[in-house]
Amino acid sequence: MDPRKNKICQKPQEKDCQQTKQRGRREFLKGAARVAAFGGAAMLAGCGGSMLGSKEELSLRWKEYFKKHYSLMTQEEKDETVRRLEQLAKIKKNVNVQMSSAPPIDGVLFGYAFNVTRCEGYMECVAACVKENNLDRKSNMQYIRIFEMEHGQLTPEVGNAKFYHQVPVEDHFYMGVQCNHCQNAPCVKACPTKATWQEPDGIVVVDYDWCIGCRYCIAACPYYGRRFNWNDPVVPKDEMTKKQHYLGNRMRGRGQMEKCTFCIQRSRAGRLPACVEACPTGARVFGNLLDPDSEIRFVLKHKKVFRWKEDLGTDPKFWYFVD
Amino acid sequence: MKTPIIRNCLWGVLPVLLLIFAAGLAYSTEGGVVQIYKNATAPFDDETQVDAALTLSIPSVLVTERYQGGRFRTETRKDKIQRFSCSQCHNNKPVRVAQAAEIAHGEIVLNHGSEARPLSCYTCHKKDERDFLVTEQGTKIDMDHSYQMCGQCHFRQKKDWVGGAHGKRISHWAGQRVVKNCTGCHDPHSPRFKKRWPVTYSPPLSKGK
Repeated sequence: MDPRKNKICQKPQEKDCQQTKQRGRREFLKGAARVAAFGGAAMLAGCGGSMLGSKEELSLRWKEYFKKHYSLMTQEEKDETVRRLEQLAKIKKNVNVQMSSAPPIDGVLFGYAFNVTRCEGYMECVAACVKENNLDRKSNMQYIRIFEMEHGQLTPEVGNAKFYHQVPVEDHFYMGVQCNHCQNAPCVKACPTKATWQEPDGIVVVDYDWCIGCRYCIAACPYYGRRFNWNDPVVPKDEMTKKQHYLGNRMRGRGQMEKCTFCIQRSRAGRLPACVEACPTGARVFGNLLDPDSEIRFVLKHKKVFRWKEDLGTDPKFWYFVD
Repeated sequence: MKTPIIRNCLWGVLPVLLLIFAAGLAYSTEGGVVQIYKNATAPFDDETQVDAALTLSIPSVLVTERYQGGRFRTETRKDKIQRFSCSQCHNNKPVRVAQAAEIAHGEIVLNHGSEARPLSCYTCHKKDERDFLVTEQGTKIDMDHSYQMCGQCHFRQKKDWVGGAHGKRISHWAGQRVVKNCTGCHDPHSPRFKKRWPVTYSPPLSKGK
């Protein structure tokens, strides 16, 4: 603790305590009630008319406020919520988004493999991810970090993620780090509101509207996979990805946690995540772990694979492999 | 006198043994996701499970090799070569062109093979039939199936490419498997990736770091 801060905090408190003692408890309560009533009135006056928008928007926002947790909704309720969010986006920001509430596909468990030998650090994946997932341009948020590491270094924690020079550099290799979608995810356990959970297809998702912004999950995650919105995300209207998913790249608000979702809006439609599609060297492999014919299963069977911090028991579905 | 001592020792050792056994059980079982995917042996039926449009509209050819899931396709090459077919000019007839220098492949930089033994044009291109490639053994190879050509030296990469550990699948993880051709990523004349600037950069995680 900062001693200066302590002093500042403590002094006024002491004063208050003395004053209340002098005035007496009843009078203090009276004063407090008066202040509360005045504050409430002021707030109502401030919110009236223009602040709340049109009647339609008001009713939509009202319903939105009282919606359920996503995993407790029936499919009809999910669809209704998604339509409502589309309408709200149209009214508020004048953007036509197509939001999906696609359920997980049966018999699918997504897995990801990253070829440490092939990655050359061109960062195409990062740029594609930012664009696809409508990440905040103001704070320059990115889900993926590419670490430049010397040969022999074993963990990205000693690597350099802030490189900006021509790549690849001799005697270096590149290691991409993003959410590992752990089967035994510590972030899910840490969340006090159950705003984050693992879907049946293995993707760890966040219901942004149930996140209270406590950031326990950031502290719990050993892979630095989670990102927090310190401000309302700023995405230019024409750059926004319109094809969205409720659990994926729909617009978040300030004070909400977000993370890589294996581009849930793409992967549940059979497409590859944006980072995989953008990779110019083919260092990224994505597929269904439950399909013995899939590419990811070939990698796991025939290549030398390892998982980062496997000893923690988080059981990630994100493998690294070497050629 | 002797039996009680032994019995005492046994009672002391037993809990310790049990503890070691339990700990061993907890750590030895390869549970979790590894066990989950190893148990899954039934092939995944893309057609009934994923309702996205799965037949890609990009031009592709059926690869002659089989991967673990059967047959797969690869991007075509011939339609991406600017002046195909080669026999338009290479036909043993005199060619009368104004921009001969431009047309005569002056832009090609050959940086393939070791410095001691670099490759030449006819290592890969067929001398008498210019629309085709030719292996060291003299097998004629179609330009669309250049993986057969590359695979004669880069057989490890080819094996990985057939299986899915090398190269790149196009746009969908489900449905018909269509992958990039060797030449879809590598320039066959200088196959190593160029050194260049990254397209973006990462901001520091925190101010201190």
